[in-house]
Amino acid sequence: MRRYIARRILWGIALLFITSAVVFVIFFVFPTADPAALRAGRSATPEQIELIRKSLGLDQPIYVQFWYFMRDLVLHLDLGYSYQSNIDVSTLIIDRLPATIWLVTGASILWLAIGIPVGIIAALRPRSFLDRVTMVTTLTLISAPVFWLGLVALYLFSDDVGSLLPIFPGIGSYLDATTPLEKAGSMLLPWIVLASASAAIYARYMRSSLMDSMSEDYIRTARAKGLPEKTVVRRHGMRSAITPIVTLLGLDIGTLLAGNAILTETVFNIPGVGRLLASSIERSDLPVIQGLVLFGAFFIIVFNLIVDIAYAYLDPRVRYQ
Amino acid sequence: MQTQWRAAALLSCLVCLVLGLAACGSSSDSGSKETGTGQNDFPPVNTAPDNSKKGGTLTVLAAGDVDYLDPGAGYYQFTYMVDFAVERTLVGWPPDEIDTPQPDLADGEPVVSDGGKTLTFKIKTDVKYSPPVNRAIKSADFKYAIERGLLPGVATGYLESYFGDLIGFGDAQAAVRKDRSSVPDISGITTPDDATLVLKFTKPVAATALQALSLPIGSPVPEEYAKQFDSQSPSTYGQNLVATGPYMIENNSAGKLTGYTPGKQIKLIRNPNWDASTDYRPAYVDKIDIQEGFSDTSSASRKILTGSDQVNGDFPPDPPVLKEATTQTPDQLMLAPQGGSRYISLNTTIPPFDDINVRKAVIAGSDRDALRLTRGGAIVGPIASHYIPPAVPGFEEAGGAVGPGYDFLANPKGDMALAAKYMKKAGYKSGKYEGNQTLLMVGDDSGVGRKTAEVALNSFEKLGFKVNFRPVTHDTMYTRFCNVPKSKTAICPNVGWIKDFNDGQTILDPTFNGQAIQPVNNSNWPELNDPKINSAIDKARLISDPNERAKAWGEIDRQISAQAPAIPWVWDYFPVIMSTDVVGVVNAFNGNIDLSYTSLKNP
Repeated sequence: MRRYIARRILWGIALLFITSAVVFVIFFVFPTADPAALRAGRSATPEQIELIRKSLGLDQPIYVQFWYFMRDLVLHLDLGYSYQSNIDVSTLIIDRLPATIWLVTGASILWLAIGIPVGIIAALRPRSFLDRVTMVTTLTLISAPVFWLGLVALYLFSDDVGSLLPIFPGIGSYLDATTPLEKAGSMLLPWIVLASASAAIYARYMRSSLMDSMSEDYIRTARAKGLPEKTVVRRHGMRSAITPIVTLLGLDIGTLLAGNAILTETVFNIPGVGRLLASSIERSDLPVIQGLVLFGAFFIIVFNLIVDIAYAYLDPRVRYQ
Repeated sequence: MQTQWRAAALLSCLVCLVLGLAACGSSSDSGSKETGTGQNDFPPVNTAPDNSKKGGTLTVLAAGDVDYLDPGAGYYQFTYMVDFAVERTLVGWPPDEIDTPQPDLADGEPVVSDGGKTLTFKIKTDVKYSPPVNRAIKSADFKYAIERGLLPGVATGYLESYFGDLIGFGDAQAAVRKDRSSVPDISGITTPDDATLVLKFTKPVAATALQALSLPIGSPVPEEYAKQFDSQSPSTYGQNLVATGPYMIENNSAGKLTGYTPGKQIKLIRNPNWDASTDYRPAYVDKIDIQEGFSDTSSASRKILTGSDQVNGDFPPDPPVLKEATTQTPDQLMLAPQGGSRYISLNTTIPPFDDINVRKAVIAGSDRDALRLTRGGAIVGPIASHYIPPAVPGFEEAGGAVGPGYDFLANPKGDMALAAKYMKKAGYKSGKYEGNQTLLMVGDDSGVGRKTAEVALNSFEKLGFKVNFRPVTHDTMYTRFCNVPKSKTAICPNVGWIKDFNDGQTILDPTFNGQAIQPVNNSNWPELNDPKINSAIDKARLISDPNERAKAWGEIDRQISAQAPAIPWVWDYFPVIMSTDVVGVVNAFNGNIDLSYTSLKNP
């Protein structure tokens, strides 16, 4: 197991390096704004821009710039300075991370709490009225874009622009929240919105996975042994049915922490990493983009590793060499 | 079983219907119909009422962020809104002043002498910096503030435009090229004593420099404190900013800003060292909370209009919300002229736009009213008929609202018959373009800018042009295409220019002077290079008398319009919206809310 983990970590480092190189190449190959010209302002002379280009190191060949970036990262854990705000990238990311962690943690608890029980109930009573209702509802929620669902939720339920039942804190309320309780309150509506589509997906996955495992021979054997149905489901059916859910969860949390919650963050004005990524791309702020991509890749790699390790404990058939 | 299925389907449909109706109800009209009748119905308030109350917290909602808090680097109207509350400048703009900047940190009117080549200020020495600097300002702080602008880590974009004629400016530039981290000396700036600042120029441009000192570059920077930050590249002084204005950004005991998180929040509190007796600003509210990141401006606008203590900062409300505001909450809306114009540039060096008759045809055939509708109609500003915007000296002389009287600019809805006439004059017998040239048009890839570009595209295609429309981000459009002559961009549909201060030079010199064309960061997008116009600009720059200046720049505007280098389509207003309990005051110079004059009804 230890060797397996060590190997995965080494692969992770290689992946981070490759991701970093790809981002660098993409930035310079595709037409993006000129950071030196943006930094200089609209009335600056070409000489001023050249001077800024030099001071930012942008006059160097791409591979030299990439070498400097990797050197600073490895030796000093330095991700550089934002071209646009002059603030160091690590500070920018660390500042945005808590909001995203709040959002993703709450939403994932919510979607697991809803999605798994609904999926189990639907799997145990296939083709029942309950199964039909849950599956049609989940299909509806999956089809609803998060951006649209977020706006609908705001205009119905937020206490600033809501018109039906304005009971939830509104847009940008996270900025005013100082205590954990206030922060949780400000996140209620975003949690519900972000969790709704995921809960629906998890319910469908759980249903199909549990239905598959409940038709396995070992389930029939367990029933033949006279075990109560609850025990059969919980100890034999669920244990193997949950593994794809764990895989999905690891990937989802990794990608959401990496900035994939951008739409929810945008609608509710949550100052998270997703919004930082979007604004950095728009402003061609390479150091911030680079930092966020590395940071996102790191999360995805870590959560995938956690998932793989969790497999070994969840499913006795899985053993890593 | 079938009944159960139908019931489930019905339930889902009901859910969809409820959600759908809710979404529709959120916006009464997503179209871009013309709204309101214009500024007269929603005039900006430029003075604070006598009964304005002190206290409370004003919340400013913003979609984006300031560009830089460092007064040497900031160059954006939203930044100025913050700067003017935090930093006092040598001369400044009370909200009702648009003609001449008034002494602020200058003790009395500055003196222009030596035939307009010397500018002398007496400084108020009883004004103190905010903590942790705490000392009184002195003239050397202003010299340092200007000189540090040459460092690439600070990079004041407009420094050379307005201070390039200072004696010793070239030497200072050369010194920075050798050593990029040491602030150079500009020998033309001297400080005979702590209360006197003298600027000497090689040309009679002191009057223009005086106006430029009303921009953030005219605020003092304490060298002994800022030097440690300026030695880094980029300078981190902006993260350790000290204030001279009524407000400061929250900081810790070392001066590090704790109240600023980029793209998230700026918290302004009262500057404990500010002395009201030295300032014209009343500074009513106790705190100003600038909350950023409201990129869904439609929701944010509604939040302001239905909420309390809020105003908009950098974003105009979406057209549907603006339309609602004109009828439902007119008292919460003000239209502030921005002192700028938007136009579609036609590259005069690229065929067929190298033919003036083709350019005239394009302007004649363009539906400028439709272009303006993409931003919300008449309420966003009058249709432009030339380049100097209203309220900037030279506007009336250039033809005022009616325009210079050229037939191709006469019909805002477009005149296809006239366009055809000009095309025939250019040699196209059918009255439409008959060549094979495909023209590169680079415009915005999203938002209202994209809509504007699409309306423009339609207009060009109607005249028979083959256009390759390349949508990119706004910054990419400027820095890789429209600002780079080498890119051979024929049409830039999303460009515009806002005054730096109230002078025709700031509108016309960078944008239509042939000598200003540069290989990168070029703002003369049409690449107009007319020797007569260039020469007139050179002469007008050196005129000191305000009336003569206005006349000269107005005449230059007429000459430029006659060359048909672009399609001017709107002189922008900025719609300021506020909650019912906000007594908003707009700064006429900046065209945005004045944080030092705005107050709350119930603080």
